[in-house]
Amino acid sequence: MPAAQSAAPPHQRQVLSPKVASWLQVAPMAVIFTLMVLIPLAIIFVVSFLDYDFAQVFPELYLGSWVDLFTSQLTLNLYALTFKFVAIVWVVTFVLGFCIAYFLSFHVRSGALRLLLMAAIAIPFWTSGPIRMVSWVPLLGREGLINQALMGLHLTSEPVTWLMYSEFAVLVAYINLLTMPMVAAMANSMAKIPHSVIQAAKDAGASEGQIIRDIIFPLIKPGIAIGSIFVVTAVMGDVFIVKQMSGSQVNTVGMSIVTELNAFMYPPAAAKSIVLLVIVLSIVGLLLRFADIRKELQK
Amino acid sequence: MSKPNPRRARPLSFYFLAAILSAFLLFLYAPMACVYILSFQGPTGGMSFPMQGWSTHWFQVLFSGDGQGVGDIGNAFRRSIRLAFVVAILTMAISLSAGMAYRRKFRGSNFVFYSAITSMVLPGIFVGFGIALMFNLLGWRTNWFTSGIGAQLTWTLPFGLLIMFIVLGRFNPSYEEAATDLGASARQRFTQVIVPIILPGIIGIAMAGLTSSYEETARTSLNIGTGNTMPMEVTGLLTAASTPVLFAIGTITTLFSFTLVIVSLIVMSRLAKRRQMRTAA
Amino acid sequence: MTDATTTPSYKYKSASAKTGLSRRALLKTGAAAAAASALPAPMLWAQNIKDITITHIGQSYSTIPQIAEKANEDLDFEVVMQTAPDTTTHVNRLLTQPDTVDVTDMPNTNMKYFLGRGVLMPVPVSAYKYWDQTLSLFVDGTYPDGTAASLEGYAPIKSQYWKDESAQEFSLTPTDYLVGVPMYYNADTLGIRPDLIGRPIDSWGELLNPEFAGKVALQDGVSTGIADAAMALEALGEVTYVDKGNMTKAEIDATIEKLIEYKKAGQFRSFWSNFDQSVQLMASGEVELQSMWSPAVTEVRTRGIECTYQGMKEGYRGWYIMMSAMNHLEGLKRDCAIEYMNWVNAGWAGAFISRQGFYNSVPDNAKEFMTADEYGYWYEGKAAQGDILNPFGKVMEKAGATRDGGALWDRMGNIGIWNTLMDEDRYLVRQWQDFLSA
Repeated sequence: MPAAQSAAPPHQRQVLSPKVASWLQVAPMAVIFTLMVLIPLAIIFVVSFLDYDFAQVFPELYLGSWVDLFTSQLTLNLYALTFKFVAIVWVVTFVLGFCIAYFLSFHVRSGALRLLLMAAIAIPFWTSGPIRMVSWVPLLGREGLINQALMGLHLTSEPVTWLMYSEFAVLVAYINLLTMPMVAAMANSMAKIPHSVIQAAKDAGASEGQIIRDIIFPLIKPGIAIGSIFVVTAVMGDVFIVKQMSGSQVNTVGMSIVTELNAFMYPPAAAKSIVLLVIVLSIVGLLLRFADIRKELQK
Repeated sequence: MSKPNPRRARPLSFYFLAAILSAFLLFLYAPMACVYILSFQGPTGGMSFPMQGWSTHWFQVLFSGDGQGVGDIGNAFRRSIRLAFVVAILTMAISLSAGMAYRRKFRGSNFVFYSAITSMVLPGIFVGFGIALMFNLLGWRTNWFTSGIGAQLTWTLPFGLLIMFIVLGRFNPSYEEAATDLGASARQRFTQVIVPIILPGIIGIAMAGLTSSYEETARTSLNIGTGNTMPMEVTGLLTAASTPVLFAIGTITTLFSFTLVIVSLIVMSRLAKRRQMRTAA
Repeated sequence: MTDATTTPSYKYKSASAKTGLSRRALLKTGAAAAAASALPAPMLWAQNIKDITITHIGQSYSTIPQIAEKANEDLDFEVVMQTAPDTTTHVNRLLTQPDTVDVTDMPNTNMKYFLGRGVLMPVPVSAYKYWDQTLSLFVDGTYPDGTAASLEGYAPIKSQYWKDESAQEFSLTPTDYLVGVPMYYNADTLGIRPDLIGRPIDSWGELLNPEFAGKVALQDGVSTGIADAAMALEALGEVTYVDKGNMTKAEIDATIEKLIEYKKAGQFRSFWSNFDQSVQLMASGEVELQSMWSPAVTEVRTRGIECTYQGMKEGYRGWYIMMSAMNHLEGLKRDCAIEYMNWVNAGWAGAFISRQGFYNSVPDNAKEFMTADEYGYWYEGKAAQGDILNPFGKVMEKAGATRDGGALWDRMGNIGIWNTLMDEDRYLVRQWQDFLSA
């Protein structure tokens, strides 16, 4: 294992400074990202300034892609919807994720049961996305199980159509998928909190709410940050779920980029990708200001 | 860690949160249940209800691998599994190594971290296209072993790194300090203290790598060379057919994951017990 | 032409195994136009081509393991097939890695992406054995009765011929160089759930009838979605076009504006992007009326759900798949690629694809490999005598059924628009996004 080799074998201890050791350890990942992501990104950046037509990019300076991006109503619409999805999904997965993580960490007393429940939450994550998407129609569709139940209980006389192929459906699928990383990240941070601390606070007369607010929250900030990075990047980068669940009737930033790529119009897709990237990196930067996850790792 | 007394009465919040968890599990498994049920669709049935009888026909089709208008799915399945295992092992090794690096301050840590986020966010089709273009410009031929694995790593490594952050964030450095005080070398600290403690996380990375590799198409499809992976074959197939084979795959995947999880749980608890016994002795 | 090409049961391999002579005779046409490398002794030839592999990347209807198996049985070289997962991957693969592909079949609407690229090989008419048996629709853009076929949209003739051997520009009139060999084609129309609608539907305009609000789906993707929508808008007289398959910017604006109105009123349930989705939409009752493909309608029916697919008074939306070879091919490998393209239309593969509900470009050859009943049902609009099976043996229709829309020319002879890739594609894609955002 490369990690073992680069983790400074004893006889080299004096030779290898910690900095060099870190560089060696991170090198494989850095090389792969540079080769496979940053170089393509550089190509994408250059392409965004070029003229194009019918799957062809001409080596002529053309700023139209950028001008359209910064001046059109479409951009505003795309980002308004994308941010709306991000905000709703983040709030719901955060609340849901916290409740579940808290329950698993502080209420479930058996370690084996806790692991089993964690596994149960994680397993659907390992079923292929396309397969999972197809399975929503039998559930949420016009003649799906939920509508049959609603009509069977005489709650509605006509099938509810906004359950599927709608913004609602997109949100349902996002929440279904992205609660798991939130739970995992927060539960992990919670596991670091000694039960004795909680017990001491309880003995001192603190209520459950006070314990959550004053002890748990400050301590799980890194978990919240990592979970949020997962959720934000997943929603902002998604094209698949939004397409399947809205029946291609909703347009987000990601969808728009893919529509252009499918029409082989690389420059406008490139410009849009770069703006999207800058925005997501800024959000992640802000999240790290809230809790520097990397500082947590350092001794 | 001190264990709370199991016989203490449950507070009200316990029942409330237990209800939330149950509702969430129901929400999580409801569509999955449709997958499991539909995978036993009769030979004439399709990918939605109603069921046209019950059978294991689609599992047989999956394993016999040819005929019945399911394309080259058997070979695609094997290709994907092979690729997924290689990618999972690489993801595990590279992420573990990189994660260890982040336990110290070093220049360039921001660069690698934000590259990882970049890799997650850039539209997959574009990353894949860029890699293919680069190979073309350099005069290299794409194939699964070079460009294919590379393209998949751009997808799996960011997850691996973030999971390492989660795992190491939980790791209590006092264990390691204790080991150092006892005279353990760096290698001993790594193999005998750190790895055993973070093993579940490492396995988690491998699992995440395995499944995200198995699912990836946007980055893979242009860089895999001749011979489709499973999701590519499935996507291609869906343009021409509607077959519950997909659901059979979903059911198998779940069974496989469950088995993997349970086996690793058992192995881990055995290891933990043995270690306890050793320390006790 | 040798007897082998017209006898249904011929096998290249057995022919060459018995005598070198028949193999040479077989190769005459294919090799004549090719390099002198094809001239050495036949035995040597057979030895050499054993190591040749032809990689065919194409549509899921034509890159099927059973077809590859049969090809490998009939031919002395190896054929490897790969199904392109989607158009984007397919075209990008051909453009960025042309060397990794030898032959490919794709919709003619993609051909515009290859103009001036030098990626595709000009196929000499003389190298293709069945050009004189190919339907005139592809040879010169006319129907059997000699009248000109519709040119709205991307009609087959628009990208059938290269102007010259340099393969840089298309020619509307026949030349000696083909862009590709015609493979299969069909006429698409609206799929209908008669049990839910209960009255006849005979116009594309019904797609936009408020009566079906929220129960209508369009095909996703700019080029087909807009073609379906244009058929409907023109039928209703809401937008008039000079050529709805190749709109002007003003026509695009008018179309998008109307579509946004309909979308906001909740006309569309969903846009489907693959076969399975269209089947699921129809079979699960999400949709009562939508643009569909012929095999998808059959699939819905095999689940015991009524679904009809007859022509509309404005005509069908036609589409066309052709097979091209890549320009990097040379020498023996080029000969083998051409040989393979000839094999594809020699009948067996054509019959196989016909049983999926599409038409072959050389029906005479396909007919040899189909039963009279099969050919009668798929091509001639006759009632089936017995069960009609798909290529995998699944019963598609019971005895007595007739094909919706009738015989080949009842359907292909009435094309209102061809699948399209407009000159103003760049503008259209931009406006289409406003529609999706609305």
